[in-house]
Amino acid sequence: MQTTTTSAAPPDSERSIQARDLTRIYRVGSVSVTGIEGVNLSVPAGQMVVLKGESGSGKSTLLSLLAGLDRLTHGALTVAGRDLSAPSDTELTTFRRHAVGMVFQAFNLLPTLTVLENACLPALLAGANPDTAHTKASDLLSWLGLNDRLDHRPSQLSGGEMQRTAIARALINDPGIILADEPTGNLDSHNARKVIALLADLNREFDRTVVVATHSDLVDPFATMVLALQDGRVAS
Amino acid sequence: MTQSMQTILNGLRLFRWFTLRHLRRRLLRTLAVLVGIALGAAVFTSVRLAVQATLTAYSNSMAHITGTSDLSVVRPGGRVPDGLVVDLLRHPAVQSASPLLSAYVRPAHQETPFLLLGLDPVLDRNLRRWRLRDPQAGPSADWSALMTHPYTMVIGDGLAEHFGWQPGQATPLIHGQRTAEFRVIDILAADGVALVEGGRIAVCDIATFQEFTGLHGQADWIDLRLNGTASPESATEIAARLPPGIQLRSPTARSESGRGMIRAYQLSLTFLSFISLFVGMFLVYSLVALNAAARRRELAVMRASGASGNLLFALFVGEGAVIGLVGWLLALPISGLLVKHLLAAVSGTVSMLFVQVQVDGLTLDTWEVLLSFGVTVAVAMLAAVQPAREAMAVSPREAMAISTAASFRPALFRRLAIGGGFLLVLVYPVSQLPSPPSLSLSGYLAALLLFVGVALLAPLLLRHFGRLLKRRLQRLGGQPAALAADYLRSSGVQTAISIGALITAVALFTALVIMVHSFRTTTILWVEQSIAGDLYVRPKLAELNRFRDPLPPQVVAKLISVTDLVDLVPMRRLELDLKGHTHLFEAMDYADYTVRNRFIWLDGDPSRIAKAFQRGQGVVVSEVFANRTGLGVGDPYRIQIGDQQLDEPILGIFRDYRTRGGAVYYALTRYQERFDDVSWSGVQINVAADAENPAAVMDRIRTDLITCCGAALEMIDGRNLRRAIVQIFDETFAITTVLLLIALMVAAIGIATTLAVLVLQRRRQLNTLLAMGGSARQLRSMIFWEAGLIALVGQMAGLASGGVLSLLLIFVVNRQSFGWTFLYRVDWTTLLLAMPLIFAAALLAALPAVKLALDSAPAALLRGGTP
Amino acid sequence: MRAATTMAWLMLLGAALWLAVAVWAADPGAAASANADQSGFKTVSGPCALTFPADHGPHPAYRTEWWYYTGNLVSPSNRRFGFQLTFFRSGLERPQEGQEWPDPASAWRTDQIYLAHAAVSDIDGGRHYQSEQMVRPVLGMAGAQQAGDRVTIHLNAWQTVITPQAHHLKADGADFVLNLTLTPAKGVVLHGEDGYSRKGDGVEEASCYYSFTRLKASGELSVSDARHAVVGTAWMDHEFSTAPLSAELTGWDWFSLQLGDGTEVMIYLLRQAQGDAHPASSGTFVDPAGRTRHLRRDELRVQPLDHWTSPHSGGRYPIRWRVEVVPLALTLLVEANLKEQEMRTPGSTNVSYWEGSVRASGTRGGERVEGVGYVELTGYAAPFDAPM
Repeated sequence: MQTTTTSAAPPDSERSIQARDLTRIYRVGSVSVTGIEGVNLSVPAGQMVVLKGESGSGKSTLLSLLAGLDRLTHGALTVAGRDLSAPSDTELTTFRRHAVGMVFQAFNLLPTLTVLENACLPALLAGANPDTAHTKASDLLSWLGLNDRLDHRPSQLSGGEMQRTAIARALINDPGIILADEPTGNLDSHNARKVIALLADLNREFDRTVVVATHSDLVDPFATMVLALQDGRVAS
Repeated sequence: MTQSMQTILNGLRLFRWFTLRHLRRRLLRTLAVLVGIALGAAVFTSVRLAVQATLTAYSNSMAHITGTSDLSVVRPGGRVPDGLVVDLLRHPAVQSASPLLSAYVRPAHQETPFLLLGLDPVLDRNLRRWRLRDPQAGPSADWSALMTHPYTMVIGDGLAEHFGWQPGQATPLIHGQRTAEFRVIDILAADGVALVEGGRIAVCDIATFQEFTGLHGQADWIDLRLNGTASPESATEIAARLPPGIQLRSPTARSESGRGMIRAYQLSLTFLSFISLFVGMFLVYSLVALNAAARRRELAVMRASGASGNLLFALFVGEGAVIGLVGWLLALPISGLLVKHLLAAVSGTVSMLFVQVQVDGLTLDTWEVLLSFGVTVAVAMLAAVQPAREAMAVSPREAMAISTAASFRPALFRRLAIGGGFLLVLVYPVSQLPSPPSLSLSGYLAALLLFVGVALLAPLLLRHFGRLLKRRLQRLGGQPAALAADYLRSSGVQTAISIGALITAVALFTALVIMVHSFRTTTILWVEQSIAGDLYVRPKLAELNRFRDPLPPQVVAKLISVTDLVDLVPMRRLELDLKGHTHLFEAMDYADYTVRNRFIWLDGDPSRIAKAFQRGQGVVVSEVFANRTGLGVGDPYRIQIGDQQLDEPILGIFRDYRTRGGAVYYALTRYQERFDDVSWSGVQINVAADAENPAAVMDRIRTDLITCCGAALEMIDGRNLRRAIVQIFDETFAITTVLLLIALMVAAIGIATTLAVLVLQRRRQLNTLLAMGGSARQLRSMIFWEAGLIALVGQMAGLASGGVLSLLLIFVVNRQSFGWTFLYRVDWTTLLLAMPLIFAAALLAALPAVKLALDSAPAALLRGGTP
Repeated sequence: MRAATTMAWLMLLGAALWLAVAVWAADPGAAASANADQSGFKTVSGPCALTFPADHGPHPAYRTEWWYYTGNLVSPSNRRFGFQLTFFRSGLERPQEGQEWPDPASAWRTDQIYLAHAAVSDIDGGRHYQSEQMVRPVLGMAGAQQAGDRVTIHLNAWQTVITPQAHHLKADGADFVLNLTLTPAKGVVLHGEDGYSRKGDGVEEASCYYSFTRLKASGELSVSDARHAVVGTAWMDHEFSTAPLSAELTGWDWFSLQLGDGTEVMIYLLRQAQGDAHPASSGTFVDPAGRTRHLRRDELRVQPLDHWTSPHSGGRYPIRWRVEVVPLALTLLVEANLKEQEMRTPGSTNVSYWEGSVRASGTRGGERVEGVGYVELTGYAAPFDAPM
């Protein structure tokens, strides 16, 4: 990563996570389904956390709560120094813009936007000057080895390239915390290793807190914390 | 730059990236919708422009003829003595007074009639504006030559152009009984009087006019302009000095009823054309809903990346706005093409139905352009609101879950249905509200309530319909059919509202088919019963000149001499005005008339009517007259005719579909006695029932009349007249048919998009079906079943609301706008033929959706996360 | 638009009325082509042999004719007024071949037009009221009738009835009414040679012209609804002709002065484009006994001393003169009683001219004299909105 793109790591508070009795229960009609229940968690700044567990164990639920994509049913949650226990819509939106960067299994690039534009998107949504955003995004993308792909559409990219674009998008607003949901799930092993190496870099070289939910063992060597979930509860 | 400015600019950038690029990518789909909304907007705009142009042309013509006069001296049912002008000019309050004569005349060898004005250039100079195009062109090119050279005229450039006439040209003109050679002395500059009837006008000296028409000592009316210092009582004082039978009127009264009628027509066409825009609204809804549904995932990603709900709402409403804007821009050239055809049709209809009007051209009214722009964009944005709200509600969590099942909210269904039901309940009471004269506001409001109400009720209907049909369909079409019914039952609000496009189009179709058929059936019945004569004889251009000039005496004498061969049904017709309602007053003999013809009574006791009418103890009035004036059986009909007052009770009300307002019939013999007027305006000639060779008798009469006075007469064969009336009718409804076809076209595009939305909304479900071993054929079959069911529900709901709409159109809108109602007749043949066709079109429209459903690889879509 | 309508009217009336001087000056070719012989009207080319009362009536054989009344009046409260009432008759050119009217002819058939101008100058009130009318003489709207020794000239409600004893005048406008009886204090005065009054170089450039130079006026007038009984002195001109004004003439200045010593002076100056008065300009002096003396151009000196510019037409009119009649040792300072006495006639001739009440003071043969009068000034204002 170039010096221009990433400043020094944000203060510790913006890189830590605290959860107490974190519970999320879904209601479908009259049936309740437990996503996670009573999860306690404390992640200090600069950790590389691996979330493990079977399908349906609550990994994605926990991650979406941490990412501000969902609301908890009860408990207390503080991510990047922001209280997410009962946030307003506006608070959530602002949180998603500035506090965390999200990487998805399915990459989730917008098909009508170019690589550069996809990377810029969160900055523009946060009200940044487009020129500044462009410069920053192209720096990030060239650091990620995509400088000859800036004007391509997602459909013209390989899976690895798509995921690297998604990582650039996650970094554009300088969040203290990076969240990744099965980031290698749709990648071949070569690209999977590359992505994991990038995430590890972000954690080690740039002191970002990284949380990865995954089935894969590839992350294990880099992990500083491992959290196993089973049936919505922390198993270990 | 402030932060909020930056936010707006970034929003616009995103709109370009996210919305516009997507619209461009789905170019075909977008174009289809654009064409739909453009057609709707074009119809709306061009209809409004065409009627507006007609109204403007009429108003201008009337205004230029009226000039600057403050008051007009008239004689109801006749002309005023021109000598009155002498006394009027001597009145201290009168600044100017000028008698005016006008008549439609035509060149001897051409069919096009035009308006000839006769006035005194000296007295008229303060009242009307007109000037010669090139007053220096030669010594005779001087208006005073109109006075000093008999049979000279100056002509409008429209006339010069039409006939290729130049100054110096001599041409024979025909009016009523006379033909005379006129010389064109100059062409009028395009200003004032020269703009009347689009410049198809000629002006001659009053002396020439009187000598040509034989109307010595008469004027149609005398216009007055009062002194600036004249007191308000002056008018009353002037009126008091007028001889009996002569009245003082506002000059605008002449044009007011005409303008009112055109405005009513404008409203009814605006309403009909708005329906194509309304159908276009569903189309925009479909497209925006389709985009919102197909892009749920992207929306979730946007939300996850920090987009606020409001931004997404704005993006989709913006999408609607862009579609509206581009649609409107596309509508402009289409309007340009359409309006030319519509203009001819509209002005023709107005001329036939209401008032003579000659439209010279279109003026692009800024207000009309802004209105069409505003309405189109507003309609498109409004259509986008519901999908935009859906987009706003997409959870950012869906970015992870890939679960994009449309949320299904029973509470909303109920709320919509309750709202819809409430509106439907209002339809009847609203239709019964009083409405301003000639404007059927309550009728149109009721129709609008009906449309919106049905659209809101549709989701609930669809659910019940789906539940009801599921079992039966399973038997009928197997699992695909059952699934289709199931889907229909549980599908989102979007689906149901999308069907609104079809309901609206079918309703409009049904209602118009019923109305036109009822109208036509009634008209034909009326034509056959009331216009049953063999031959109609009247003075030349009688219709245009409103039967003011009676048949020449030698014609009457000739006809009376052959009464052993034929039966005569003479009539005397006057144009009268009762409290602003211009109507025809016709004196005729009941017994003679009813030998051949019949009245179709709406009210009154026919057996009693005949006796009282014969004795002159009452009048019978047409339905239009009764509805316009609010007078009914038993009410007195009081009117000034010449210097006498007629005051008789109304005995009965009959159906009448003649053009230009209502009609009142009175006994001929009593009229002749009381008003000392034995002239005939026209005569119906019937060969006696027992004649040996009716055709030969008719030929003889005809030859006799041509030999004696052919140049002065118009002879119309009864059969041709009846055919002509039906033809006029069909031409009038040509516009309606155009609107109808466009609405149906837009609806077809609507069905295609609706089904595409349905498919996209549940790609996952469809692919699950495939993955579970469903064949492509079954999938296709299911989608066709859905299309069929949607078409069926749409058609049924459309037929039902069309039935209600037809009642509104016939018994509310027509009565309020035109004053007539018809016998209610449903054209089952057309409806039964059309319904399968619409159904087939709906199935055809399902093809793109089928293709869409089978396009995507199932695996790609089934991949998803878990909660 | 109005400008062009106006122009159309000018084309007609300019040909007929001497008032349309400005038009003819603007278009000399048109004047040259209007040959009196061709048009079928009689021309004036020598003494007129006028007999009365017959010649008080109209002379339709000639193209143009007018009856012109002016006068100065005073109310019992010494409020001063001036008035003008003029009837014009204008013959329209008939088709060359002498085409007959259709038979039966409409009652509207005529080849004449009647016009009338009326004005009241409220000198002390500082206002000028005016009105105009124009009709064709049909259906009794206008015309001239002679019954015995009584001649009536009328247009709508306006009229003058001339009897051997008096002239009865009636006219009204939107804001004034005039009702006067004028009694001749002297007999008819024939101008020029027995009424043959030269107006240009050619023998046919002339008119028949006579006047009542001193009429005792009494009657009633109303302005703005206030009625005034009035008495005063009036002047009547009757003139007819066929010839249009010479092309080189731009207009004329006409003076009618009634002096306190019982004499009257009439002067008309035909102004030429070069500025000098045409040699045919002349005048008439009437002594207390009614004897006349013709005044030649070279016996007259008229010098404008002051001007007024009309805010309406833009015309710049002289309103104060030094008038000298050399052989009579008559020197007068003539001054308008009111500047604003311009007649504007958009509804008829559309020509603007100044027709106003004046007062005179000076000496005749060394004796001090005072007097009243009327002055007419034509050709100073461009026609309204003239497009050329």
